[in-house]
Amino acid sequence: MVVLSAARWLRSRLSDRFWRVQEVLKYARHFRGRKNRCYKLAVRSVRRAFVKSTKARREKKRFLRALWITRIEAASLEHGLKYPAFISNLVKSQVELNRKVLADLAIYEPKTFKSLAALAQRRRQEGFLAALGDGKEPEGIFSRIVHHH
Amino acid sequence: RYVRQLQRLQLLFSPTAADARGARQFVEEEAQDFARQHPDVVLYVSPHSGPGPAPVLRAEYLNGTVRDELIASKTSEEIVQLATKLANQSGLDIVRIRKPFHTDNPSVQGQWHPLTNKPSILTVQGPRLQPQ
Repeated sequence: MVVLSAARWLRSRLSDRFWRVQEVLKYARHFRGRKNRCYKLAVRSVRRAFVKSTKARREKKRFLRALWITRIEAASLEHGLKYPAFISNLVKSQVELNRKVLADLAIYEPKTFKSLAALAQRRRQEGFLAALGDGKEPEGIFSRIVHHH
Repeated sequence: RYVRQLQRLQLLFSPTAADARGARQFVEEEAQDFARQHPDVVLYVSPHSGPGPAPVLRAEYLNGTVRDELIASKTSEEIVQLATKLANQSGLDIVRIRKPFHTDNPSVQGQWHPLTNKPSILTVQGPRLQPQ
């Protein structure tokens, strides 16, 4: 006799409930309160934690960029330059360093950062001369642009 | 020269269990070819008679990590794929790497401290600095 499905009064019962519960609880172990022990509360908390961590990946980029900008601003103020002046003059001198690298230089290589600040300051002065001097003086040295073809 | 990090593969299964059918097929058909393709991996086949634990593929690496993979109710091809995946891995534990870089000497010019850009009078101590 071929039987395709079990009889209606036969029930199948879970035998690995412990491991299914542990799969969720292992992500809740560092939580505060009963949600690190009780499965019913932990399921909700773990799900919210995962959702928040997914969404926060976009915020992390913004947060880190703001952190770098704060650090570069502090370092350039030590050398007498404000952040917008520093960044704009670096860009005009064709120094394409991003904020992450600039922040790392400011922390770990202070002399390099000082020279970069001096470069930005020099380019700034040349920019003022070019804008206000109007004409007969030759162009500044650091204002020359290199064309890569 | 490439050194394969997988030391040995142990195939632990029971010759009579129903879920070890894929393991048995793997041993009969593809174990020899796998062993020939990976000459630096030692393949041990250890059948234990009678009802025992679930069939397992145990991989041991050169740094000492032992990784067990269940092969219960898997086809022979799946076991081959699993074995090649284990053979291409290194024994490092599979955790999220926080940063893809690491240095022991992050600072060449000396790390910044609050007195780096201040005049050196604040740091230098000597008999010359006493008021006259």
